[in-house]
Amino acid sequence: MTAVIEDKVIEVTGLTKRFGSVTAVDDATFSVERNKIYGLLGRNGAGKTTLMQLLTGQDFATSGSIQVFGQSPVENASVLQRVSFIKESQRYPDDFRAKHVFKSAPWFFSNWDEDFAQQLIADFRLPLNRRIKKMSRGQVSAIGVIVGLASRAPLTFFDEPYLGLDAVARQTFYDRLLADYAEHPRTVVLSTHLIDEVSNLLEHVLVIDEGRIIINEDAESLRGSATNLVGTAAAVDAFVGPREVLHRDAIGGLVSVTVLGLTAGERKDASAAGLELAPVSLQQLIIRRTNTSEKEFEVSA
Amino acid sequence: MTTITATVRPPASAGGRILNIVKLHLTNPWTTIILPWMILGFILIANIAIWAIILGNTAPADRADVEEGLGYSGASTYIFVYMMVVAVQAIAVTFPFALGYGVTRRDYYLGTALTFVALAVMFSVGLTVLAAIEEATGGWGLGGRMFTTFYWGDTWPQRLFIFFAAFMFFFSVGIAAAAIWVRWKANGLIAFFVGLAIIVLGGAALLTVTQGWIAFGTFFAEAGFVGSFAWSLVISAIALVAGFFVLRRATPKS
Repeated sequence: MTAVIEDKVIEVTGLTKRFGSVTAVDDATFSVERNKIYGLLGRNGAGKTTLMQLLTGQDFATSGSIQVFGQSPVENASVLQRVSFIKESQRYPDDFRAKHVFKSAPWFFSNWDEDFAQQLIADFRLPLNRRIKKMSRGQVSAIGVIVGLASRAPLTFFDEPYLGLDAVARQTFYDRLLADYAEHPRTVVLSTHLIDEVSNLLEHVLVIDEGRIIINEDAESLRGSATNLVGTAAAVDAFVGPREVLHRDAIGGLVSVTVLGLTAGERKDASAAGLELAPVSLQQLIIRRTNTSEKEFEVSA
Repeated sequence: MTTITATVRPPASAGGRILNIVKLHLTNPWTTIILPWMILGFILIANIAIWAIILGNTAPADRADVEEGLGYSGASTYIFVYMMVVAVQAIAVTFPFALGYGVTRRDYYLGTALTFVALAVMFSVGLTVLAAIEEATGGWGLGGRMFTTFYWGDTWPQRLFIFFAAFMFFFSVGIAAAAIWVRWKANGLIAFFVGLAIIVLGGAALLTVTQGWIAFGTFFAEAGFVGSFAWSLVISAIALVAGFFVLRRATPKS
């Protein structure tokens, strides 16, 4: 085979989606590379779900272009057969029990792994015979997580997949996702509020705010892009100078600031000036770069 | 894990994808198949009990009169309305579900229509068999009539056709209404029924003004039950085609 392997799974150019006077997605341009785990982060109502609905052909763009596996996803079976989209708000037929979901899912996903599904059902302790209507929020979420993992679709979207899942179940999800991803590489787009929890999972981060893609960066370089400096007000101010400060906190005579892009030499200088250097978590960084208070973010989490 | 060597099935063909939707609708056959037959059975038993009570209190001289009256039963009509509701509900819940499975609207609609045509065939054959039993047993031994009432025709081919056309009518209207619901929710259905009422009232007004009621009645009288139900297939076809175009632009909302 001499065919060049297509590296871009998704290519979006100038994508806009309006609902009446509301612009849910505003002139978004980005691409998603094959076999990476992407984080799609942003506040409630930022446009995450709308964006994913556009990428999976569930909604129609107002303008701009979307290419998934090189084609428009809208009403395109050859594209959509390779896509799995697990929504937090996924509805199930009223009379369905969990077993009906796992009976029908393999018909639609040609990569479905039944052994893996059974193992996940045991891991999440999911009652197969209970009607979905009678299940707890976490159990319903577990169904979606299991379908999303066991379907092994080449392109998998998880939109806030774990509403109501406890910390243990969420960790199980992260562990299984990483382990299975290592053995069966595929492209995963994960949208979430729990940024720090998934921080180590992500290879690339897309942050959407008021419909605009405001951060589109490799996760590793993003994590190293900012530093917290703590010290006396005088020392901090002397060091910071004209640098852009993302965030500033003052307690008594102590000041803490978040600054971007320190070189190794500058770090040395800061230490010499008696400042304490600390890494900034992905969540803090995104909060600071989206100019929202931490409190707001946590409330929406 | 040895799953790396697991055989990966090729993606489903167009026909396979449509059949998958049929299977999806029938994954849990309780609402679409089992419950309707159970309710129908219960109504039949209740009717048999009622007929027995009536006949038990009828003087032998009046018996022929009573048996004629039993021919005007509407007991079997419930299943048509029930199945229309089933069609609406099935689409309202499986449409957003199926799209999450990466199904196109086109495949979903064709599979759904096929499902309900198959259900119409199954239920009309079933009702025709029940009608034959009713005839053979002299109305369940009591002269009762539930499946052989006059408007269902006189012979089994007529009954089979009328049952089928009636199911298709209620399914098609249900599917079209569900498509409107999925696309525009309650506002769409309200607009639809207001529009329908205007058309019906306008038609009635037109017939009154033009003194066309007699011609209208004559049309159906001449068409007979079989002919009238045959005309209903035209409405069913229009509803099914319209539903397709409505659903084609629908988005799953939560």
